[in-house]
Amino acid sequence: MLRSRRAERLTAAALMAPFAVVYGVLFVYPTLKMVELAFTNAPLIGPGAWVGFDNFRRLTVDRLFSTAFWNTLYFVALTVAPSTLLGLVVALGVNRLKGWLQSVVLAAFFLPYILPVSCVFHMWNWMFDKDFGVLQYVLAPLNGGQHVSVFRTTPYFLPAVAFITTWWLLGFNVLLFIAGLRNISREIYEAAELDGASRWTQFWRITWPLIWPVTVLVFTIQLILQFKIFDQVYLFANFIVRYDPSMVMVEYIFKKAFQQNMGGLAAAASVVLFALIMIISVLQYQLLRARGRR
Amino acid sequence: MIRKLLCAAAAASALLIGVAQAKETIVWWDFLSGGDGVRMKTLLEQFNKEHADSVQIDATTLEWGVPFYSKVQTATAVGDGPDIMTYHESRMPLGVSTGVLSPLSPDELTASGIKGSDFSPANWKAAQGPDGKQYAVPLDIHSIILYYNKDLLKKAGLLGEDGKPKGLDGAANWDAALAKLTANGVTGLALPNDGASGWRIFYTLFNQQGGQFLKDGKFLDGDNLAKATTTLAEMQKWVKNGWAPSNTEYPASIALFTSGKAAMHINGVWEVPTMVDLAKKGQLFDWGAVQIPVLYSQPATWADSHSFAIPDRKGNPVSPAKRKLVLDTIHWFNEHSLAWAGGGHLPAYLPVQESPEFKALKPNSDYVSLAKTAVFDPVSVLAGVASPVYDAAGNYVIPALNGEIAPAEAATKMRDDLQALTK
Repeated sequence: MLRSRRAERLTAAALMAPFAVVYGVLFVYPTLKMVELAFTNAPLIGPGAWVGFDNFRRLTVDRLFSTAFWNTLYFVALTVAPSTLLGLVVALGVNRLKGWLQSVVLAAFFLPYILPVSCVFHMWNWMFDKDFGVLQYVLAPLNGGQHVSVFRTTPYFLPAVAFITTWWLLGFNVLLFIAGLRNISREIYEAAELDGASRWTQFWRITWPLIWPVTVLVFTIQLILQFKIFDQVYLFANFIVRYDPSMVMVEYIFKKAFQQNMGGLAAAASVVLFALIMIISVLQYQLLRARGRR
Repeated sequence: MIRKLLCAAAAASALLIGVAQAKETIVWWDFLSGGDGVRMKTLLEQFNKEHADSVQIDATTLEWGVPFYSKVQTATAVGDGPDIMTYHESRMPLGVSTGVLSPLSPDELTASGIKGSDFSPANWKAAQGPDGKQYAVPLDIHSIILYYNKDLLKKAGLLGEDGKPKGLDGAANWDAALAKLTANGVTGLALPNDGASGWRIFYTLFNQQGGQFLKDGKFLDGDNLAKATTTLAEMQKWVKNGWAPSNTEYPASIALFTSGKAAMHINGVWEVPTMVDLAKKGQLFDWGAVQIPVLYSQPATWADSHSFAIPDRKGNPVSPAKRKLVLDTIHWFNEHSLAWAGGGHLPAYLPVQESPEFKALKPNSDYVSLAKTAVFDPVSVLAGVASPVYDAAGNYVIPALNGEIAPAEAATKMRDDLQALTK
């Protein structure tokens, strides 16, 4: 008995080892190194001297870092909840369709998700274009007939990018919700109908509580994803000119590390982002799960 | 059966290695895309054809700006990377400070026929590090120029007998000319509203006042702040008075000029091929290009230079024999830089720049005068292509141009932002 358990352990260890090694070498080790780097004045490549918390102190007084920090939070607020709720709404609609029509509509919603970010950028950049964009037919009347340079107008920049991001990633949320909805047994709805429950009651009493775990999952995935926003903001800002007012945290890290050769400071900003994502996602996951259990 | 296959494979690879050894390969990285890329490809093909039995250049084009320079930095740190690469002279300070560039000794330069006296002094010096060592060899000087529509200028009485603009020098004359040209749905000027273009125009006018952007580690120190404010106020006037449209994207600014909706256009020499090609197809009016007019006390034009450098690959340096080959190649490209001048650039190599062939090349020879008073970017790791200085221009010069921020405020904030980065 004892021998066989030891053999089992050995087998388990042998099976675990490849993953553990890859995870350790490619994830844990670099993460620890990054934390170490955050306390040095290292350039992008090569060692640096230990400077204690100096990098973190510099972050607190850097106007650009605080812009990046608040912009990131703003972007998260603009995207996470809306794209989660919109995903649920679309999934509820698609779920009511039958047969090939459902597949076609689902594919239509999923299509943007498979596009690379560069295509998404080019498409929307043209549609929003100040001189030739098709969206100017909608925007200009709202602006007293004047064409609007959306990405050059600082207050419009992040909301516009958030809108595009939601459009782009919605398909994935819809897919998760559809899977969740299909898991809810038809019989529960039938029983509810026999008891005379309206569609509205059915939604709030059956669908909403049973889809809750999926909602929490989608919300968390979106939260982590949007905290790491970089590509879209970088691309759209690169074609306009005012980087600073639209700066987000990953862009700040990129800039400090690769443009200005400040590895230590960039690592410190990464540590802040890492801690922020960890704290907020754990908090919200616990909070939402507790609510769901009720 | 398997053994037979293996033998065949081994024989084939031995054969391939044999061929490869007979012919040297130079690994080449550049950031030249668009019209520059096409022109460089033609030159590379010519080189490979002329050296068909001895050298083969294996060229890769990478993304311009920060991506290129970070890739070079990360590659050389692990002993990887090319044998030769293009480098902006304005970005040399960062390259030297991060140890990416390998110094070129006077002896090896001489051995390949490269002489400092074959380049203009400012151009040659811009390729040196703070230690006085040579780190690159310039290929060209590129700058901004004034493109103009001869028909529209003639109508406004601003065209001389020689087909060049007249009466544009001095800020008051320049403004009056813009006002005169702005009529009947045509604006006087079209400007690309991106950070880099903003910097080039700003730096040109700033230096025409004898300004010093960076002096003893201080940005816009003393009366330089006032000069920067004057420059921004002048630029703001152009948009405010409707002489130049606001928020013009880079391609749109070119389109405004080529469609005759703007009488003049300030942009880099690299857009010359755009005009030449359109004119060849008969789709462009009679046009010309000259040095930027002198608005203030002295002539000056922003300039940068594409140059060639050898990376300092850590632990895997380019071998001496390969270095000789690379420097020979650099010399070959300079000797053939007349073809490169077709891209609007001015050849850095004086024997070509002063050759009758180049003097016959229009419109390049109309603006070659700018090389004598060209001002290169401040020597700092914070300046140069795709640097914080360029970003600062995007953050402050362009908004000032479009009247979103007062000139004095823009100048002060630009100074403070850049100064904060020096700490």
